[in-house]
Amino acid sequence: MLSAIETEVDVIVVGGGSAGSTAAIRAQKELPLGRVLLLEKAHVKRSGAIAIGMDGLNNAVIPGHATPEQYVKEITMANDGIVNQRAVLAYAERSYEMIKKLDGWGVKFQKTEAGDFDVKKVHHNGSYVLPMPEGYDLKKILTRMIRRAGVRVSNRVMATRLLTAGGRVAGVVGLDVRTGDLHVIRAKAVILCCGASGRLGLPASGYLFGTYENPANAGDGYALAYHAGAELTGIECFQINPLIKDYNGPACAYVTGPFGGHTVNARGHRFIESDYWSGQMMLEFYRELNSVNGPVYLKLTHLAPETLTEIERVLHGTERPSRGRFHAGRKHSYADDLVEMHISEIGLCSGHSASGVFVNERGETTLPGLYAAGDMACVPHNYLLGAMTYGEICAENALAYARAAAPAAEAETAPQIESERLRLEAPLKRPRGIPPHQYEYKVRRFVNDYLQPPKTAARITHGLALFERAAEELDSVSADGPHELMRFVEAGFIRDCAEMAARASLFRTESRWGLYHYRLDYPEIDDDNWLLHVNLRKRPDGRMEALKRPLTPYVVPLDAAERRSYYQIRVPASPAPARDQELRS
Amino acid sequence: MINRDNREVVKAGQAARVENAQTTERFDVPVVVDTGSCISGCHICIDSCPVDCLAVSPETGKAHMKFDECWYCLACEIDCPKDAITVKIPFLLR
Repeated sequence: MLSAIETEVDVIVVGGGSAGSTAAIRAQKELPLGRVLLLEKAHVKRSGAIAIGMDGLNNAVIPGHATPEQYVKEITMANDGIVNQRAVLAYAERSYEMIKKLDGWGVKFQKTEAGDFDVKKVHHNGSYVLPMPEGYDLKKILTRMIRRAGVRVSNRVMATRLLTAGGRVAGVVGLDVRTGDLHVIRAKAVILCCGASGRLGLPASGYLFGTYENPANAGDGYALAYHAGAELTGIECFQINPLIKDYNGPACAYVTGPFGGHTVNARGHRFIESDYWSGQMMLEFYRELNSVNGPVYLKLTHLAPETLTEIERVLHGTERPSRGRFHAGRKHSYADDLVEMHISEIGLCSGHSASGVFVNERGETTLPGLYAAGDMACVPHNYLLGAMTYGEICAENALAYARAAAPAAEAETAPQIESERLRLEAPLKRPRGIPPHQYEYKVRRFVNDYLQPPKTAARITHGLALFERAAEELDSVSADGPHELMRFVEAGFIRDCAEMAARASLFRTESRWGLYHYRLDYPEIDDDNWLLHVNLRKRPDGRMEALKRPLTPYVVPLDAAERRSYYQIRVPASPAPARDQELRS
Repeated sequence: MINRDNREVVKAGQAARVENAQTTERFDVPVVVDTGSCISGCHICIDSCPVDCLAVSPETGKAHMKFDECWYCLACEIDCPKDAITVKIPFLLR
């Protein structure tokens, strides 16, 4: 029997990545030591979407370059109108303050000779990209600030379910992935910062952990929030990225764009005017890739040698430092070879698109006491800086909530703890069950087969039946110890996310967000019926249901032409290629 | 003896009821540890790994990649104080 360790704190932060770090640091400022607990499935020094560093901020709203209102407009266009503008605005208004704070912490941003932040234009309209060519220490700096703040950290403890009582959150059940101990942590407020659902689709390489996102981000937060009764939104707006084929890391037009790099087709011609990652751009990318003009490449061959050296220094040292090793293994260089790109497996991530837990401008979910920040919380296109900013927003509101709330009744949580104990013990007791990685492979293969856009009702329905069957098959999976038990719990989260992705995609009978929700059976965007949120929630009988939620009224209005500006992305037909422009083999 | 005529019916029924069998497989893994320079008792790389795929090998007492679950993020390689780790890109991607 798994032994249970009981603790009680004021605020629990689940996940010590970018959002969780700032949430825990901010909450600790106003509470006695030990009253904030940061739970981390890995170790805070190398956890979250960013294990090492980052090459830039993609959504810096810096006075003199952009206003919060311009940013809200840009993101409303990028996300085809389906945004809670108040939540986007709350980020934008604190964006600059957060950059200055990070600057003070020692995070290095690119500055002009005059010492100003050196902002670049990558989006369609405004300038929001702040390069961090020396951003390789970001994770170390965040870890140092967690230690300096005195935050209590439990590394290698994974949240497996949330506890609720009286319609509020009451705590977390955790699993020590090294010892197998069960942790019961009671708290008045919980902030989920668990990252993307990045282990959903199967990479084309077939390597389970060869994902775009850090594969530790398995959708834990989506499933935790769902099972506790919180609503999720925009799940049908998948994350699909243009990546380096096989390596599956970003080719990184955001870094190379300002140096003159860009995406080209096999004829060597540009076909999109903006390399900003939007669904509309991904649809053009998809069309080009599947046309006579495919494959698609990142082109750097025309750049000066010293420029290439600088690009290598950034791309091979910050976000995914093994990238240089990948290119070297293929004997490719930026000077002589184009970088072949492809379309990633699908994932759920509001950092890049819009799928996440339904939150408002205070970071509140629909479950009182439960907050969510970062890639798993729906504030569209929120990226790294949005995660860190919303970490703070959530912490401030969770502190206020915890101060006012009475302690939750423990009696109500007892059956939940018992049922979770039985759920986690079962795979350890089952002899010769299915290994978790095989179970996971199968679910993720079906995600590719039935959910990868373009979508149709018939395909999604087939997939849904298989995901429902997979819920039963989970009872045949076994674990030979704590590590496999972690993978078993993650496999359940992945299956939950697959069902969410199918149900939300089936419910929205229109196409929107370019490739992210491209329905062949409903190919047109339909604002008359679908300019609204599609939310998911767990019904009292345990089934998943989809429902419509109206948009929060806009605070920054858009006219009709602006609404569709992200669709004006294709380069007008380019001339036939000259022979010397043809692709080198 | 199973009657040839209903053999498949019987076997299909058995396949649904019988216990699972298992085997072990060989994997080429990305994290290569130089056991000569790796220090016994040091857990730095094992703590660094975001997917917890490293462990102390019971045979050598040194770190090794126990599970084929690498994101080739290089955290272990960067954090190793003895420069004992080399991460290769996983073969399927190489």
